Amino acid sequence: MIQLTVNGLRNAAWCVAAFGIVACAATQLTTEQLAVAQHSIERAEEAEAADFAEVELTTARNKYAAAQAAADKQDAELASLLAEQAAIDAQLAEQTARAKHSEKRAAQLDAQMRELREEALRSTKSPADARHP
Amino acid sequence: MRVMTVSLAVLAAGATWGLVACEVTPRKSADFPQARSTVESVAAQNDVIRYASPDVARARDYLSLAESRGAEHGVDDRVAAHYAYLATQSARIADQRAQEQAAQARIRAAELERERILHEARLADEQRARATELLDGFVKGTGATRTARGLVITLDHALFGKGRAKLNANAGGSLDAIAQFLAAHPERRVQVEAFTDSVGAPSYNLELSQSRADAIAMAFIGRGIDAARVRALGYGEWFATPEDAAARPGPPDRRVEVIVSNDSGVIPALLPITAGVP
Repeated sequence: MIQLTVNGLRNAAWCVAAFGIVACAATQLTTEQLAVAQHSIERAEEAEAADFAEVELTTARNKYAAAQAAADKQDAELASLLAEQAAIDAQLAEQTARAKHSEKRAAQLDAQMRELREEALRSTKSPADARHP
Repeated sequence: MRVMTVSLAVLAAGATWGLVACEVTPRKSADFPQARSTVESVAAQNDVIRYASPDVARARDYLSLAESRGAEHGVDDRVAAHYAYLATQSARIADQRAQEQAAQARIRAAELERERILHEARLADEQRARATELLDGFVKGTGATRTARGLVITLDHALFGKGRAKLNANAGGSLDAIAQFLAAHPERRVQVEAFTDSVGAPSYNLELSQSRADAIAMAFIGRGIDAARVRALGYGEWFATPEDAAARPGPPDRRVEVIVSNDSGVIPALLPITAGVP
């Protein structure tokens, strides 16, 4: 029983130390996650998410602002969650913008190809020679 | 009774080991049906399977995190809900990536086709330019006239002696050029039309003109042109009207015209000049 109590005290000491590290690590983690979120938002902006994925980008920005507010209020856990969500929202915004961009380009190309195919068909049907036998 | 035992054990463990005891808490079932159905419906799409399986794997990882967290802390736990949200967003990212990649594949296919069409158009242009060059050279060399019936070459009057249907020995030059052109354009046909004046018996004139047309036709066949592409017509004095004679140069009695068709291979019938054919 005495042995157990000593063990318990040692564990308790470990716990206190561990909590300190965890708390400290949590703040640092939040800072890193905020940076990741910010980077993701910048990437989305570069992918023209403002034009092609406005809703998703706005969600990411709002969540990033909320994460910062939580970090300012020392709510590391909430800040961490919101920062992680902001990052994934921004990734979705970026990917949505890329998809819309590619689809727009594919549609333009489809239209060009239709024209080109018709033109090619016309020119094979009317060789230059036919005009003067 | 069993629950009681477990609870007692937890209490006892908590008293001695503190937080370490968390591990023995029994698991409750907890799932996030909306997140799961989003992940699974996205994961089933063909383009997602083809292009976005890492995103799907990530979504599934978040989903199991959400479910095991939910099992420990209940579905209302904000961290569990957080993971469910990450799972849903990962699935949406997978969906968008698949759409992007499918569009990119369409773009690549279209660009390849465009290259091919442009390449073929360039080749066709070059071929047309060569054909035009060849045609121009032929027209210049033979003195051919471009008409609605085709390229009309009036042969040298010295090809035949007066009243004769045998080709003179020196007749080869322009016939060679025509035969060469025909060999280079297998789609074109040739028609030889021979005429006489109205001196002498019409039946004799008709026979003479036909024999002359045949002689020229045989000259083409002898130069390797398929007989099916060659036609010989003797008109005798049918077109030897004064207007006709006035409209055409040289002595009409030995006039032979070679008509080379265009690419269609069709040569419209000769109509009397008085009917207004150019």
